[in-house]
Amino acid sequence: MLTDALTIALPKGRLLEPCMKLLGSLGLPTQGVDEESRTLVYEFPEHKLRYIMCRPTDVPAYVEHGAADLGIVGKDIIVEQGKDVFEMVDLGFGYCRFVVAVPTKKKGAPLTRFNYRRVATKFPRVAEEFFRSQGLQVEVVKLHGNIELAPLMGIADMIVDIVSSGRTLRENNLVELVEIMESTARLIVNRISYRVNHQQLQPLIEKISEVVKNEGVKK
Amino acid sequence: MKTREIPPGFKDFLPGEVKLKRKVEEQAAALFASWGYQEVITPIVEYLDAIESAGTGADQQELFLFQNRDGRLLALRPDMTIPIARLASTKLREEPLPLRLFYQANVFRCNSPQRGKYNEFWQIGVEMVGASGERADAEVIALAVETMNLLGVTDFQLSLNHIGIFNGLLQESGLLRDEQEELKLLVIKKDLVTLEKELAGWALPGDIREAFLMLPVLHGGLEILERVPGISRVPGAVAGVHELQRLFHALQAFGVEDRVVIDLGVLRGLDYYTGVVFEGYSSNLGYPLLGGGRYDNVMERFGWPNPATGFAIGVERVLLAMQEPPALAEPKCIVAGRDLARVMEAAKRLRNEGWIVGLDVQGQTREELEMLCRQRNCRLVLVD
Repeated sequence: MLTDALTIALPKGRLLEPCMKLLGSLGLPTQGVDEESRTLVYEFPEHKLRYIMCRPTDVPAYVEHGAADLGIVGKDIIVEQGKDVFEMVDLGFGYCRFVVAVPTKKKGAPLTRFNYRRVATKFPRVAEEFFRSQGLQVEVVKLHGNIELAPLMGIADMIVDIVSSGRTLRENNLVELVEIMESTARLIVNRISYRVNHQQLQPLIEKISEVVKNEGVKK
Repeated sequence: MKTREIPPGFKDFLPGEVKLKRKVEEQAAALFASWGYQEVITPIVEYLDAIESAGTGADQQELFLFQNRDGRLLALRPDMTIPIARLASTKLREEPLPLRLFYQANVFRCNSPQRGKYNEFWQIGVEMVGASGERADAEVIALAVETMNLLGVTDFQLSLNHIGIFNGLLQESGLLRDEQEELKLLVIKKDLVTLEKELAGWALPGDIREAFLMLPVLHGGLEILERVPGISRVPGAVAGVHELQRLFHALQAFGVEDRVVIDLGVLRGLDYYTGVVFEGYSSNLGYPLLGGGRYDNVMERFGWPNPATGFAIGVERVLLAMQEPPALAEPKCIVAGRDLARVMEAAKRLRNEGWIVGLDVQGQTREELEMLCRQRNCRLVLVD
């Protein structure tokens, strides 16, 4: 935010390709932007634009603290982190769902049966808030990956995780019990930058909305 | 070593930082005083009852609470508006109105610590009690802008809104209580994606729905007020629009309108403010530098119904936003010598002349003293 250039925080990984497509449709530069490269900052002075490459989970932090004016990140990460950013546009891509999943033999069991049980997840906040909103209490075990392993190994009775096709669940003898929420990629904006650079940002945000609506890159 | 720890969210100020902080506070205080505001000091604690009954919607989870020996709950003050409302309504009610008061104080809120956000932070601000109308609002806002100018926050911008516009539309919407609460939250958080989805599912008139989608992104001069659908048929909103128009003209008279934009997305503590609200920003900082507005319903909870308005500036945030803190050049010297009486005489004379004088109390050699003076960037005065 310290310069005239707008800074956009882009997520590495599965969201990057649709992000680049979106930037391309907006007529913004994309040449040479590659997550395999070691470059983390891409400058386009002729467009008054800068991209920074972040881990998806770090995008909200860069935007909240104003290092980036805009960022693209999944709703799953936004709700888990609860950062103070403006969420302006549903970009439609990167669709996935938060679900509670349990071992196949417990298929169809009422959620209340899992009161006071243990849940493994990468998203402790989402898990905790969901069960609390159902009037249930659970013990949350925070893990960092391969959540499906936890019920297999008996350290949890269920998991809260994001699924897209559901294949990983099936392969690990798990089955979806309840859907918590859906998630797609979102355009987030720093709250001060939005106010101070409104003339510059609002037209861009509107253009992005427009492109998303027209291309219908929906779920 | 546990003895070296400091609780998270709290901060020591080192000499250089204190100097800058004091300078900011002194400049602001002098300006407030020249506009006729008088300083007050209140206790650092208030009864929890007083804070809660003020109806400012202070979040109990944000309060530092503890119990007094008499069993009643105390809170470290979370802002200065409540203490001043209490003070004014109990001790200044015989004074002619409006009251113009200012403060420099530390306030306490349990936040997750991050840049510019502490559990204890310093505020300077003003409250004007007993006057309503655009002239009172304009004075307070112009004073906020003047303060930022004086402190050298160059890229300062103040965003202005009127709570009555949002509240008027909300009343007209016919939404259920829960829906209204959620709508407020979504607009404050600016979660436009969820807002759009929820609005699509709720039963409310089409133009009001449209208006709620537009409010968070409308930003500009007076002309944007005409672009809000449905606004002209909602009496509360119309009154708000008229107040904003009158205020904007008053701000032109104060000569600060080029720092001010109307931003219908600025909603501060909706349960508390009743009219004009504003926030001030610098592009150097990811958080507002100041905030304020009109709160005409707070004084009556202290048994003294009166309109009121004011603002608070975050001192640490101003210090972060001042890109280059002013260099504080001061004439400094060290006076040394064998004869203490002559050393003291020289020191006294230099201090009277405006020098900052340190004494050599360790009987150091000339070489040691010269080295010290180079490190401290000061002059050496040897008296024998």
